[in-house]
Amino acid sequence: MSDAGVQTAPGAEAGVPLSRREFLNYLWGASMAVFLAGGGGVTLWYALPRFREGEFGGVFTLPITNLPAPDSPPADFPDGRFWLVNVGDGTLQDPRQPKDYPLEPGVKALYKVCVHLGCLYKWVPTNDRFECPCHGSKYLKSGARIDGPARRNLDVFFVEVLDASGNVLSRSEPVMGSQEASSVVIPPEAVALRIDTGRRVTGASNSKPGGGI
Amino acid sequence: MAIFRLHIPMLDEVKQKGLRPALKDKWVDVVTRVTAGLSPDDMRGVLRDDTPGRPNPRLTPHAEGFWLHMKPTYYHRMVDGLYPTFRLGWLSTFFGVFEIVTGIYLMIYYTPSPLVAYENMLNLLSNVPFGQVMRDMHRLAAELMVIVVVLHMLRTFITGSYKKPRQFTWATGVVLLFVTLVLSFSGYLLPWDQLSLWAVTIGASMVEAIPPEVVGRNVNLLVRGAPEFGANGLLRFYLLHVVALPLAGIVAFGVHYYKVIHHGHSLPPEAEKVGEDTAKRVPMDSRVYFMPQILTRELWYVSGLLAILFAAAAYLYNAPALEPHANPLITPLHTTAPWYFLWLQGMLKVGDKVVWGLIVPGLLTGLLLVLPYLEVGPSRRYGDRRIGLSLAALFVAAMAMLSYMGTPHYAVSTSPDQEAVAELLPQTHPGPLRSAPWEDLAYGSFEASAWAAAPNATLQDLLREFDDVLTNVQSAGRTDVAGVMVIEDWQTDLKKVTLRVTWTNVPDGTAGEFSQSVYLHRNGNYGEGA
Repeated sequence: MSDAGVQTAPGAEAGVPLSRREFLNYLWGASMAVFLAGGGGVTLWYALPRFREGEFGGVFTLPITNLPAPDSPPADFPDGRFWLVNVGDGTLQDPRQPKDYPLEPGVKALYKVCVHLGCLYKWVPTNDRFECPCHGSKYLKSGARIDGPARRNLDVFFVEVLDASGNVLSRSEPVMGSQEASSVVIPPEAVALRIDTGRRVTGASNSKPGGGI
Repeated sequence: MAIFRLHIPMLDEVKQKGLRPALKDKWVDVVTRVTAGLSPDDMRGVLRDDTPGRPNPRLTPHAEGFWLHMKPTYYHRMVDGLYPTFRLGWLSTFFGVFEIVTGIYLMIYYTPSPLVAYENMLNLLSNVPFGQVMRDMHRLAAELMVIVVVLHMLRTFITGSYKKPRQFTWATGVVLLFVTLVLSFSGYLLPWDQLSLWAVTIGASMVEAIPPEVVGRNVNLLVRGAPEFGANGLLRFYLLHVVALPLAGIVAFGVHYYKVIHHGHSLPPEAEKVGEDTAKRVPMDSRVYFMPQILTRELWYVSGLLAILFAAAAYLYNAPALEPHANPLITPLHTTAPWYFLWLQGMLKVGDKVVWGLIVPGLLTGLLLVLPYLEVGPSRRYGDRRIGLSLAALFVAAMAMLSYMGTPHYAVSTSPDQEAVAELLPQTHPGPLRSAPWEDLAYGSFEASAWAAAPNATLQDLLREFDDVLTNVQSAGRTDVAGVMVIEDWQTDLKKVTLRVTWTNVPDGTAGEFSQSVYLHRNGNYGEGA
């Protein structure tokens, strides 16, 4: 096709027709773009770590004697990355406890990692609360956030209470009208606690100064 | 018939001219080839600052050789002084090269594995000749580089040198600033001590906050190589630090410097008419030639800086002592970001991590990147840019304030009893007790209040400091505060020191106590960089 054969209307912009060579070059370009996009996807897939089943998280069974008494300081279980707390009446009536979250007496397993940016908060007995050393988030024994940049309550693990023959007597349940998991009441015949760190319940959002929605 | 014929032209020349003249000609030839155009006499002329011949042979290496092909043959006299460049771009480049060289030296003794990385560091610091000074120099130059790069950007803003036609140069500079900061930060993880682990854990958790959840979770896995930092995460940060980021930096530097030379160094704002750019039209009488002036000066800059860096690293500056081995089960009290990220840590204490950890820093970076395309006022004169310059000053002040908020003094203080013990026995650096002379820690139990009765000056100082900080523990709710330091001989050459704070809670009369112990070895060498 020669240039002389191209007619353009007066006033219209003189266009150059799409030649076969140009068309094929667009095609090569497009195929290369598809290849690069595919390569990028494969790179991400390649770099994503793979895990064996159960490599992270696990089921921890503890004798009931490891459980702290109601309202006493929480017990640390570094292997399972959790604190075991026994919420008693003193904890329920703590004036610092935000009113927005249902809380009943019983046992909770709090995931040790601060929900802000992944540091490990620690128990500070003098202040009777958990404090994070990195950005200063503060949490009560109940897991409720009361101060600092965290924007939700602490995450918890599911807890099951077992009797001598291994039957489940009670377990933490999702709480109606809340994202939280309930505290577990300990029946008298309980001998062990089973904590599944593969099942983590995200804390309810909580952003007000002093805690609360 | 020979299979091949070896012909050595030199022998022909020796036959023709005799040995000495032939060798001399060969010497001239070799030097001219190596310098891409300068004969030995030309070289001497450069070093003697003789007037060059015509045509000027000193321009040939720029045109013919690789190393000088981007270097301009001459500069404008007005950009040759300290003002307006302050040599900050040159210094950034110098420190970049210095980091690559010292980094390669450090790599010789380092393995990126959590099993041995910390041990490698101890070996480097205590057993390798010049190992400690090598680490000190690498760290010192890294911190200086951050300072110099930031000052370079501030200077470019203040003199309005980012304006048309240099917008893109500025944008590549922002990329280089980013690369510099991430390079420094990625190097943080490599010693595999507590500081490394937790500073970088915070960084990775910020990435994890990227919404939506599925993106954040997967990007976090890509960065850490696992849900928690371990062997994979260390290896990934190592590769970032020694391969990916330096490569990105070198490419960005190439583009940046090419653009700088392409547009010429911008003249001081008051030297040109508003809206004019005469950097590339340098009058003959204003030219300062690269050879000899700039070349010889840069030679002595390099020599002087190397001497200063080495002397500073050897005598004045110690890279922060290693903290205890990385422990994924304990976050140390007062964990802080490196100083150049304190502003970010300060922002993170203010509120939501998505807003303050991602959106605000992201917006700031984006704004910085496109600044010259948004701020298009033609004048570079200081008097015409009062608003811009004032905003820049406000920005610097805000960064300083945020940096203060990033320190442990703001919003992360724990209970006063723990703070008092941390004063003597901090969890992030050696502190007074670990740095005290080991022999002076005499066996016994010492009351802080009775510091004057301690057997030696070291103990008196430590106990007096303990006694001073104990006044912070005393409050309306806490009385009878007392502090005790117990020093025991635990094993041969090993002492156990316990700091204990006791008090009485006022409303109920119960006793409170907090104590912490540390084991100190005779050859612990705390505070000496090891």
